[in-house]
Amino acid sequence: MATALYTHPDFDGHQTPPGHPEQVARLAAVARGLAGMDLLRLEAPLGAEADVLRCHPARYLERIRRAVPVAGWAQMDGDTYLAPGSYQAAMRGVGAVSAAVDLVLTGGVANAFVASRPPGHHAERETAMGFCLLGNVAIGAKRALDHHGLGRVAVVDFDVHHGNGTQDLLWDEARCLFASSHQMPLYPGSGAVDECGAHGQIVNVPLRGGSGGAEMRDAYEARVFPRLAEFAPELILVSAGFDAHRDDPLAGLKWDEKDFAWLTTRICDLADQFCAGRVVSVLEGGYDLDALAASVAAHVGILKERGQ
Amino acid sequence: MTEKPVADMSFEEAMAALEQVVGALERGDVALEQSIALYERGAALKAHCAGKLKDAEEKVELIRAAEGRAVGTVPAEGL
Repeated sequence: MATALYTHPDFDGHQTPPGHPEQVARLAAVARGLAGMDLLRLEAPLGAEADVLRCHPARYLERIRRAVPVAGWAQMDGDTYLAPGSYQAAMRGVGAVSAAVDLVLTGGVANAFVASRPPGHHAERETAMGFCLLGNVAIGAKRALDHHGLGRVAVVDFDVHHGNGTQDLLWDEARCLFASSHQMPLYPGSGAVDECGAHGQIVNVPLRGGSGGAEMRDAYEARVFPRLAEFAPELILVSAGFDAHRDDPLAGLKWDEKDFAWLTTRICDLADQFCAGRVVSVLEGGYDLDALAASVAAHVGILKERGQ
Repeated sequence: MTEKPVADMSFEEAMAALEQVVGALERGDVALEQSIALYERGAALKAHCAGKLKDAEEKVELIRAAEGRAVGTVPAEGL
């Protein structure tokens, strides 16, 4: 089987002010990293409101729609902006994740990568923050549960920042195991070990600033993989942020491409063991363009190799 | 946050600034883009405090060593 890649030109409509690290050029870097790779390249459809509403109330979606400016930017928080194309981009993101979940669950492809902007894992139920508008990964997880009838979906978030939004959206969802590794202390400040979810189904793994791949591997082997194995997921979703890379300007961990490849391999091992290799990975952060290109290439390269 | 360069701070000033930084990061009232800058300031403050402590430790060692000589050697010579 193949590996699907979902993306869309509409994501470039989510323009951010000059100098903003979450920039249009990020997806060009991702495209550069994946150029020439044999992937099933698909256009992301527009997402359905019904999919969003499993995670965010209608009034929040309406608030974003109304805040979209005719020109320039509307500011949602200290570093989250809306451009004229942002609503369309956000809904494409939802559509991309939903379509990827559908395709993987119906056996069309082994696994999928979603190259979308804006990212999603900081967006809480009614709060846009940290460059994020809608909780793409949580929306994908809910679709797998409610639309496809799965009973156990795991979400692994290796972005360097805590996935506070995903945690908020899945806090009371017993059918989801959510595991996040992140530098701490760092934005957004949450993600302590004692934040466990309403059913003990959330696993937070803070990592020390300045720590590298060895510490990450030990932490995942000790705290994340045993929980994943015990949970026996029917689908694994990944919040794939590449800002734990040593060259990233927004954080202080020291991972490299090999670490992302290792982590992807281990996630695929577990997916093979429990759910016929079904993995849907969704882009989150990663702000050094060269490191992003190389890390995405390493990550998707493993997905492709394992999906064959 | 004070504008005083970290290198010019006393131990107490640096500790107070460090506590502010850690508090802000833990409360999460820092924008994503500024978070790493604040973390780096925290790391610089921590290094400065550690350096000050090391200096103090070395002074204590010197005093101990000097005291050791004073009690250990002078009386023997006098005999």
